[in-house]
Amino acid sequence: MSKAIRPGESDEDRLDRSRRIQWIDLERLSDSHCLVVGAGALGNEVVKNLVLSGVKRITLVDMDRVVRSNLNRCVFFSEDDTASDNFKSEIVAQRAGELSPGAEITPLVARIEDIDLNALARMDVAFGCLDNVAARLHLNAHTYHLGIPYVDGGTYGMAGRVQVVIPPSTPCLQCGMNRTHFKVMERRYSCTGNEASFYEPKMPAEITTTSVVAAIQVREAVKIMSGREMDCIKHILHYNGLTNASENLELSIDPQCPMHSSDNR
Amino acid sequence: MPLRVKVRNAESGATVDMELEGENTVEEIIEGAAGYWEKDAGAYVLRRGKKLLRGQQTVADCGLVNQDELELIPDPEGG
Repeated sequence: MSKAIRPGESDEDRLDRSRRIQWIDLERLSDSHCLVVGAGALGNEVVKNLVLSGVKRITLVDMDRVVRSNLNRCVFFSEDDTASDNFKSEIVAQRAGELSPGAEITPLVARIEDIDLNALARMDVAFGCLDNVAARLHLNAHTYHLGIPYVDGGTYGMAGRVQVVIPPSTPCLQCGMNRTHFKVMERRYSCTGNEASFYEPKMPAEITTTSVVAAIQVREAVKIMSGREMDCIKHILHYNGLTNASENLELSIDPQCPMHSSDNR
Repeated sequence: MPLRVKVRNAESGATVDMELEGENTVEEIIEGAAGYWEKDAGAYVLRRGKKLLRGQQTVADCGLVNQDELELIPDPEGG
């Protein structure tokens, strides 16, 4: 006997409207394990979008605590979190879990540089939601080496970018960097011989650009997890929030990039 | 023989002409234009049409020609 339907049945399925987009592979999304590095503004939005999309397993890495200046763009943080000095990754994991009961969101209060690489190897997609070049390069190198797709996001005021790296076929983050990126990195970690100082610039940031960039990051990952890599950004999307213009810009693999030398893989 | 290109500032729309030799690099163009506009210290990239130019490429490598238009774009670092 064929299965009978009931009136209103479709409204009882939380993913019913997603199922109507037929190419989205909800089973694979549910089985996938995503790594999100950074639980700040982009990290909040990326995790929110992942759980609402049906991703069940997320590992979230961030070493920082919630501060008041986060509250203009971080959906999961509250005044109480700043007063309690809570860790960002723990709060995002807890509150995003409430959006999707059954989701396993594991917070790691740590720097990405301190994470066991064996744990990275089990990930299906990694997200860069970071605020500095050094951590991006670290994540880029390890995901590329392990063959894990990496979706990186960045914002500065109303400007944003998203890069999709699918090893070994696409250029990586390092391929697109130049001396200005490395100067930014050097300024952050200046060493005078006796002491090292850390300079952390305060960057302009607001929620609408953050939301756009994070939404694109997750959309690209949904394509990857659904076997639609061919439809992903090639290779870097730049977004201008003032004009609402966005453009996909092509990048070629840098033959001098350490990620692409033949003995690296 | 030097060639002349126009560099556009993606943030302001302003343009500046630059005179280049074949051995000049993309990084030199980026730093020259960013310095001319006294832009904030930060990461920038340079595009020619739909292509992002890599920093170490030379003018000759990129196949730049007289009157080419390039655009200087900030590369957002924040998260």
